[in-house]
Amino acid sequence: MTSWRIPALIALLVLCAASRSGYLVSLLVVIGLQALPAIGLALIAGYTGQISLGHAAFYGLGAYGAALIGKWFGVPAWLDVILATSLVAVIAWAIGWLVFRLKGHYLAMATLAFGIIVQVGFVELHDVTGGPNGLTGIPPLALFGYTLNGDFVFLPAVWVVTIIAIVCAENLIASPTGLAMRAISENERVAGSVGNNVQSIKRLIMMVSGLCCALGGSLYAHYVGYLSPGPFDVGFSVKLLLMVAIGGFADVWGVLFGVIFITLLGELLKPLGAYDVVAYGVLLVVSVIYCPNGLLHGLSALLGRGLRIVNVGRAP
Amino acid sequence: MTEPLLTVDGASVRFGAFKALTDVGFSIQPNELVALIGPNGAGKTTLLNVLSGEITPQGGTVHFSGRNITGNAPHRIVADGLVRTFQAAEPFQRLTVRENVMIGGVSHHQLGLLPSLLGRGRALLDHGVLRAEADQHLATVRLAELAGQPASVLTAGQRRLLSIARALASGAQMLVLDEPGAGLNDIEKRVLGDIILALSASGKTILFIDHDMPLVSRIARRILVLDQGRIIADGEPAAVRSNPRVLEAYLGQRGVVPARTAPSRAVAAKPLLDVSNLSVSYGGLAALDGVSLGVGQGEIVALVGANGAGKSSLLRAIAGVEASRADRMTFDDVDLRGESADRAVARGINLVPEGRALFSSLTVLQNLAAGRYARRRAEGFRHVMWRSATERRIFAERLEAVYQLFPVLKERAGQLAGTLSGGQQQMLAIGRALMGEPRLLMLDEPSLGLAPQVLAEILRCVERLRDDGLTILLVEQNVSAALGIADRGYVLANGRVAAQGSGRSLLEDTRITEAYLGSGDRELERAAQGVRAVAV
Repeated sequence: MTSWRIPALIALLVLCAASRSGYLVSLLVVIGLQALPAIGLALIAGYTGQISLGHAAFYGLGAYGAALIGKWFGVPAWLDVILATSLVAVIAWAIGWLVFRLKGHYLAMATLAFGIIVQVGFVELHDVTGGPNGLTGIPPLALFGYTLNGDFVFLPAVWVVTIIAIVCAENLIASPTGLAMRAISENERVAGSVGNNVQSIKRLIMMVSGLCCALGGSLYAHYVGYLSPGPFDVGFSVKLLLMVAIGGFADVWGVLFGVIFITLLGELLKPLGAYDVVAYGVLLVVSVIYCPNGLLHGLSALLGRGLRIVNVGRAP
Repeated sequence: MTEPLLTVDGASVRFGAFKALTDVGFSIQPNELVALIGPNGAGKTTLLNVLSGEITPQGGTVHFSGRNITGNAPHRIVADGLVRTFQAAEPFQRLTVRENVMIGGVSHHQLGLLPSLLGRGRALLDHGVLRAEADQHLATVRLAELAGQPASVLTAGQRRLLSIARALASGAQMLVLDEPGAGLNDIEKRVLGDIILALSASGKTILFIDHDMPLVSRIARRILVLDQGRIIADGEPAAVRSNPRVLEAYLGQRGVVPARTAPSRAVAAKPLLDVSNLSVSYGGLAALDGVSLGVGQGEIVALVGANGAGKSSLLRAIAGVEASRADRMTFDDVDLRGESADRAVARGINLVPEGRALFSSLTVLQNLAAGRYARRRAEGFRHVMWRSATERRIFAERLEAVYQLFPVLKERAGQLAGTLSGGQQQMLAIGRALMGEPRLLMLDEPSLGLAPQVLAEILRCVERLRDDGLTILLVEQNVSAALGIADRGYVLANGRVAAQGSGRSLLEDTRITEAYLGSGDRELERAAQGVRAVAV
């Protein structure tokens, strides 16, 4: 059923690249980079039902991790991406081990605190992260001796990774583990009563989720070449949650739509400056209340109702 | 004798000072079909949680197929082959019926993370062994034709069957079913009974909790009776039913309240509360099914019946706490249907809920003051903000009346409600209701967790209130005590009125014992005819 979606996505990307518009392509790169953490968050918060307000931390750890590993050990960029991602995956598993004793609000607060701690670490560890001044001089990604410098060459690289992540996430959801995830999100106690090790599944998904975030973050580091703590604050965690909410939580393609929607909206809201957060907040509240299954579902339901009214009006 | 499959030895569980289970011991042979019964609060669910590993007992051991499983994690116990279901059945509503059953099989067809990510798991679900097994278990519980439907469309009975199929899919050797028959109608119960018997015939060992004695007597070969955390009887259904300790546990000790000499009083011509054809259902489960009753001015009416008969639901529906449907529900000729709970209180209908529901971090006096809220709110919002002179006068009057009835509350006015003893808490709960100037006082299980002497004291107070002209609707587990003081009584069974009459005459009525414990010989005839076993 979904087999047409990936070719359609690739066709769309090719079309946009063919337009030779630098602005459009740079937007697509940003969308691809943010889709990775958003899909990661959808796996844990959407499919498994475990809220997290600290996912920006995994994204940030991936970015700083890749930059620092590259700087300290002088390894090629592709290797530091892999090393940083694996390291953050282990950290995510450990965080899961720590926080999944909690549920509901307490879980949200614990993950929020984790996000804040990491963010404070980025700011205060001057000697390591460069503090508020940031890290500069991160080399661009190079593959097979070819440097991915510039939006037009980075675009295929990031989207290959993103599409692989989408396929893997869909496979995971369609597997027995995915079934157990959905069961856990509905009722942990019952899921456990038929023999599923609930805690172990949650930790595993947290690890996959952290891995997706870190992958996006480390690619981001090599794309922009400069890191400061700003983009990895709690605001970004909330923005990720908003993307997942707009997409309908448990829906990989819906989440991709959410990322695109929020990124484009962000461009529109640029004149608002720092007040864009207000708009995001309002949007989150509205979409969770009126479109609990995501903006797309909400809109199509509205459209369906409109059509029905029109048809009834036509009927004699 | 073969080696028992399940052995519980000296299991004890305490929650704070409360002893939920005391030295419980029994064993179950392979392929036995055993029922566990007991009155409210006997510790059945706690025992079940001990078996499934959700509670680790403070003392004692649980052995399953020769291994000590005490304190093991729930999923380990399932892996050993001991699987439970839940009282509420709880299907995963967003999944299909088949997916619900497949969840049970996930744990022993677990696939590694990498193969899952690469898409190897897809086949397992779409046309693999997991799906085949799920379909097989669905056929066992006769739900095969609904496999593709979302689980949310299932009826209450089908949900119970689905939870059994889910448990089977996890490779259960022994099933522990928590009230599989609660809230089901007779046809659904018969199907459930047939399926449980078929499972037993196919070699499964089954332990089930249920309150429906006809169902229990029909399928169980052996009954365990739990009361106040102890096993008080263990044996064949007929022997258990005639066991005096079991009768006492269910019907209460006779002679708690001395027999009254006063004759049964004349009932007012026009009932104060008049209910006709009232029904309450919880998401498809019918708790009350067409109940009619009347309560006359100034009488005590007792509602008795087994657990799950619908007694509390009836009180909650009258109080407006529970949504209900009725042909007629009037209080002093005012229609109560659709009335909100606070409006009902303001009209003078006060419920003292089961478990008392006190504000435990407020003082006794503050709790009593809270009982005035609905009256003040009904006067208008500003009366909530400050007390008028009239309100102050009524408050003082009511407080004096409550203190007279329960002098201990005056002594302890400044004490936190949570630190009172059980009996004092019950007095406070009644006192709080009396503060709201009730015309109809509804008491839900005032004896819960109280010693017999304390209950007798509280019931004496109830009688005094009636003699002062208050109308009382009483739900009480201690049937003898309740009917002893009641002018009239209703026996509820399976959400319907099974019998009614004056308190005295009901006490002698064998239908009460039947409503609680069923009756062996008549049950057999009626099961053959397929007629309701407990009926008027």
